[in-house]
Amino acid sequence: MEDTVFNGGFFTTALWIALGVCCLGLLWRLVSWLIIKIGPDAKEVSFLQRLGAAIIGGIKAIFSKRLPGIIGGFVLDSLLQRRLFKVSKKRWLGHMLLFYGCLVLIVMHALHVLLADKLFSDYQATLNPFLLLRNVFGVATLVGVVLMTSGRKKDWGKVRPARLPIDALFGILVVVIVVTGFLLEAQKMSSPKAFNRMAEEYGIDEDEIKGLRWVWKLDYGVAFPDLKGEPDPDLLEEGRGYNEDYCVGCHSKPQHAFVSYPVAKAAGLIATSTDAANVDKGLLYIHIFACFFAIALLPFTRVFHVVADPISLVVRGAASSAPLSKAGRVNRRALAMDACIRCGLCDFDCSVGPIAKWMNNQELLPSRKVQATRLVASRSEIKAGQAERLAVGAHLCTDCGRCTDRCPVGLDLADLWDAGRGDLSSKGFPAPAVWVKEEPAIAWAEALGAELGRVPPAGPLTADRNQFSACVQCQTCTNVCPVVANSGEDRVDLAPQQVMNLLRLGMNDLALGSKMVWDCATCYQCQENCPEGIRVTDIMLELRGAAWRQLGPVRDRRRSI
Amino acid sequence: MNYAIFLGCKIPAMVPAYEDSTRAVLGKLKVGLQDLPFTCCGYPTRSLDLDASVVAAAHNLALAKQAGLAILTPCKCCFGQLRHAQRFLEEYPELAERVSAFLQHEGLPFPNGVKVDHLLTVLSKEVGLENIRSHVTAPRTGLKVAAHYGCHALRPSAVTGFDNPMAPTIFEDLVAVTGATPVIWPRRIDCCGEPVSASNPDLSERIARGKITSALESGSELLVTACPYCHMRFEELAKDMGLPLMLYPQLLGQALGIPDKALGL
Repeated sequence: MEDTVFNGGFFTTALWIALGVCCLGLLWRLVSWLIIKIGPDAKEVSFLQRLGAAIIGGIKAIFSKRLPGIIGGFVLDSLLQRRLFKVSKKRWLGHMLLFYGCLVLIVMHALHVLLADKLFSDYQATLNPFLLLRNVFGVATLVGVVLMTSGRKKDWGKVRPARLPIDALFGILVVVIVVTGFLLEAQKMSSPKAFNRMAEEYGIDEDEIKGLRWVWKLDYGVAFPDLKGEPDPDLLEEGRGYNEDYCVGCHSKPQHAFVSYPVAKAAGLIATSTDAANVDKGLLYIHIFACFFAIALLPFTRVFHVVADPISLVVRGAASSAPLSKAGRVNRRALAMDACIRCGLCDFDCSVGPIAKWMNNQELLPSRKVQATRLVASRSEIKAGQAERLAVGAHLCTDCGRCTDRCPVGLDLADLWDAGRGDLSSKGFPAPAVWVKEEPAIAWAEALGAELGRVPPAGPLTADRNQFSACVQCQTCTNVCPVVANSGEDRVDLAPQQVMNLLRLGMNDLALGSKMVWDCATCYQCQENCPEGIRVTDIMLELRGAAWRQLGPVRDRRRSI
Repeated sequence: MNYAIFLGCKIPAMVPAYEDSTRAVLGKLKVGLQDLPFTCCGYPTRSLDLDASVVAAAHNLALAKQAGLAILTPCKCCFGQLRHAQRFLEEYPELAERVSAFLQHEGLPFPNGVKVDHLLTVLSKEVGLENIRSHVTAPRTGLKVAAHYGCHALRPSAVTGFDNPMAPTIFEDLVAVTGATPVIWPRRIDCCGEPVSASNPDLSERIARGKITSALESGSELLVTACPYCHMRFEELAKDMGLPLMLYPQLLGQALGIPDKALGL
């Protein structure tokens, strides 16, 4: 019966619009894989080089000896979600139910004219097993959504992977589509109007319909308001005969629709009023327009990963046999922006996970950093405060590579972080060890003094005046320092014993911006050899932390002026 | 003997042969290893945020404590950091309190009293030199080997307690066990240069070059390391300068008759 709604031009037009938006969106995303520039080396390759790399890469993957391996990896990682299974059985189950539930409903129900009717000669939505299965897969989809979205707080704690509002919108649409589907089926089951329409279609006459109505009230749950009490047994017997003749060929017992039928029974009391109010039409509109909306939205939400991820997995397979060209690497980073669905598996055993929680800085986590990388690459100017937070994430990453190993869609995250650091550096946010050395210590001290007046101690060791009071300026620390010995032409600005002397004199501000502090190799020769037991290296490290905290904001303010 | 093996970040990602050879050698010497869900030791974070670096270490120590295991790490920087964190937790009660609350929230115990040892210490003190010698089937007799100590295990000795910081012998003893001849070279306890390789590559290379020159001039035929950072620093440079480089468990593994493939060679 759904077919009839397409007879009107309205729905057809809406469908074409939705498909049009979807196709344009897809095209836009595909082209963006050749346009988005991430990493300093992205500027060195042209659009044509990138297009060439994509085409040649694709051809190579298809004709390579590794094709069986690539396909095998695709089946395990994409269709069976092997990596997700290893991390969370619950989320794996949710993903399988949601994906395969939706897939079956699309093939068997939404596109039944195109697919199901051709695949199964006897396909009827109201006939078993299809009647039963539609409910099974509807429920599977809903359970999938619940499993996928629940327990985020429990699984991740307070530092969780990013979720964009548009991602939630798609999930809501899926729920709306399935729930209105169930309600629509239930409404139709209990609707006398639907019964009458069918009876008319089959030309059932006045006499036949009396018994048939009783059969459909008792066995099929149609809520005829005028049928009360018990039927005449002969009339019922007669009705059963007509039912055999006219109906059972296309209608299994509705109890098999184990969700819709109880709803229909419950709704039976109000069926006549819902008929009068055209609720069926309202539900149908919501159901179908939600579908159209989902189609149009597909390229713009993370559901687009159904397209991007298989491609990403093929690229990983290809890259594991032969390293990608520069243009290929740049393309792969752009593809990663769409292939990453912020599933957060990478966050589960991120090496700096505990640090992210402690600092309460989610930008440390890989699932967040993917989008941050794009942001940094796309903005010509980054806001200072935001960039600082992104920079912390970029510079505290230990390059352990676990996220790359863990990524279920085969992203080369290690390469992405490297590219992101390059972009941050070129936009003025290199590692602190680099930017502190942009200015001489005296300039930092002046800027800091102008803002703060007196600079507080860098930390507990610096605050402890007893640490330095014993310093006799014997220069042992400087004499054993490999940095002083190997500093070559550019000489250290302050020798270690001079740094200690500044601290002894209470001139913390001058010590903070010293190059010596940041060139320190932390070999602990000075500390080990100090005849007075001063913890020189520990103090150098304390100064670094303070420089990062205190000079960072000064630098940001000066940049933004 | 049973340890939680702490590989850190660099070994799996950059020097996988170190993991392979360590597991192969310890397996042969009947040292049991367990893998726990360890994360970063906190060493790279120490430059920016001392508290965060202590938390990172404490989180790992707590995992070992919960499992009732001592930690064995082949990385000298992880070793140093874990030991430093233990010291800071003792030294700063206020920080220890905050760390304790954090760990409690994660369902982990406060990690006092966890034993942390470097691979070389376990081999030398726990397995024992004589025990190792009895397993040597293919001694590397005559090979002149320069052992590179690595700073973060050796110093500050008050924290690491690894060996005599001015005149250590542990690494040379372990080289001698393989049948090779340890070389006493002038810069054996000096820095490799790796910690400044990103922020000041020229300085880093000069330091490393000086070390390799010192090893070569002392007649060394092989340089051995026992830390992924030092190894990474020397890898290209040693090859360019004509000095073969190995990870210590690779040298030992060969002496124990373990096939090269299992040692990542």
